Amino acid sequence: MKMAYRWLAVLLALGLSLGATPASAAGEFAEQKIVLQISDPNPFKQTLVLNVANNILKHYGPDRVALEIVAFGPGLRLLFEENANKGRIKSLADNGVRFSACKNTIRNMGKKLGHPPALNPNAKKVDAGVVRIAELMDKGYKLIKP
Amino acid sequence: MKKKFTKTLIAASAAMLLGGTGEQAQAVNWLKMQGTEPPGSSARARVWGFIQPEYQSTDGTELQAGPWAGQKAVFNQSRPDLRTNSSFNLIRARIGVRGTGFPLDSKVNYFFLAEYGNNGITRQGGGSVKLTDASVTLNHIKGMRVRIGQFKTPGSEEGLQAIHVFDYINFTNGANQLLLERFFDGDGSLAKSPGDVINRPNGPVSAFRDIGIQLFDWFYTGNWEHSYALMVGNGNGISRGDNDDNRELYVYWASELIFPGKSPFPSAAHLAPPVWSADQHGPRGARYQTWKLYGWYQNGKRTLTRENPGEYDRTRYGVGTTLRKGKFRAAAEYIVADGMIFSGTDGGAVPGAANNANSAVADFNITTNGEANAWYVDFGYLVTPKLELDIRYDTLNRNTQSAAAERKFSTLTVGAQYFFNKKSRFLFNYEIRDAEAPGLPSGAVPNQILSGLDNRISGQLLIVF
Repeated sequence: MKMAYRWLAVLLALGLSLGATPASAAGEFAEQKIVLQISDPNPFKQTLVLNVANNILKHYGPDRVALEIVAFGPGLRLLFEENANKGRIKSLADNGVRFSACKNTIRNMGKKLGHPPALNPNAKKVDAGVVRIAELMDKGYKLIKP
Repeated sequence: MKKKFTKTLIAASAAMLLGGTGEQAQAVNWLKMQGTEPPGSSARARVWGFIQPEYQSTDGTELQAGPWAGQKAVFNQSRPDLRTNSSFNLIRARIGVRGTGFPLDSKVNYFFLAEYGNNGITRQGGGSVKLTDASVTLNHIKGMRVRIGQFKTPGSEEGLQAIHVFDYINFTNGANQLLLERFFDGDGSLAKSPGDVINRPNGPVSAFRDIGIQLFDWFYTGNWEHSYALMVGNGNGISRGDNDDNRELYVYWASELIFPGKSPFPSAAHLAPPVWSADQHGPRGARYQTWKLYGWYQNGKRTLTRENPGEYDRTRYGVGTTLRKGKFRAAAEYIVADGMIFSGTDGGAVPGAANNANSAVADFNITTNGEANAWYVDFGYLVTPKLELDIRYDTLNRNTQSAAAERKFSTLTVGAQYFFNKKSRFLFNYEIRDAEAPGLPSGAVPNQILSGLDNRISGQLLIVF
């Protein structure tokens, strides 16, 4: 019994040490890892990146792909709390898609707005959007910018 | 796995459409479409517009009786110039820009549209280009958005809907005569001699618009989207200030049941990406599957400065319904009018034309104490993804307060629309038109004149960009 608990503890520690960033439903063992970038002001790009995310999930299945959308610059508007796409974002998040919001952009937009923008609850803040993309690429993610 | 995921996505989408996740979708809410922008997802400035060249023709039957017998009948001439019975015309050519101005703040929207075409907007009031819309919408207060400027008034579906998604070329008799307001200085009751200034419109037609302030919003209960609007305006048309101290009041309510799924009808409306979500927003686009019930009311006064000068009440109200489901669409509306009834021209003649005796010229007329009612039913069917067939019957009973003055106009319109793509189409209409003075003997002069009302053929090309 003691041995079983020891093995359990080891496995638990191993799981916790795999990285601070939580994995998608597919985790680090995903068959495919993709990061989508949105940094454009064009509202059409918001639809496009969500459509692309949908198509990726549809092709691989949420259990077989690790998918993250990183928003920075004017593209951060996609992750505003009031954004008209928030229903689609929730739907994608429920299927394991991660959404990252650049803190640098948040800070800059906050200066222009006079207050930090309210973000979608499914968005996680990262220090810098481009750094996040670089880190994900180091982990084997493929970058796609629709 | 793939099938299971697909089913899950479909279920999720359906749930979203039916509001299962607190989100609603897909409604023909003109208040929303014309006055607001999707939050967080609109451009600083999005340029758009549409062009509508057309051809209209009648047989050009001349007046059969009366002081202008043998001359051109105004009701058989082509709009807006009324000089010929058949003509090509650039009826509308509009370009506009809309957006948020400051993209980080979705709470302030604007809408700007100008008319370059040849119609009742540009032909009157000087100049060849007119501003049709210029408004700012403030979305700061939950439940009460504020729109200020010049824009479409909340009212009849024919007037409120975007003209570039209209399924016909010409308005119904009721919309054309009771709602598309012409403004005059007098009522035309005084006879004019050749050389006199006749009673002509003193500015552009209203184009179903006013300058004022509107409170509006929409909310959801289950699969229903409810919207309201309260507006106060000048009641004196577009592109000019008011001419009196009276204000116009507009009240509007609509309840719309949203069906799941997108309508197969191609859309001629500009479809801004993306689909809206959240409890306060729905998608853009005019052609989705819904059933709408609506009611509206307008009330104000008009001031005449010549020929029976004074202030006169003008009231309009109506109820209606629209349905768009699968390949089928339908609409119906009933309108009541009280006061300031547009009553055509003297003898049915072209305004300004001298009579055969050269003793009088034809005037436009307004019946200040007139009453009228109108209704229409309208059906459309999508035969193929690119071809829609339409049929509409409308009737107007004008000046019902007097047997001698009463006129009844009925039009059966059969039409077809061919969609080249979602943003361009060709429309063809054939109107079987009839008019009579039901309170007078069949041989009376007005009935002889109205018997000359021709049927009309129209063709129109539309492109939205």
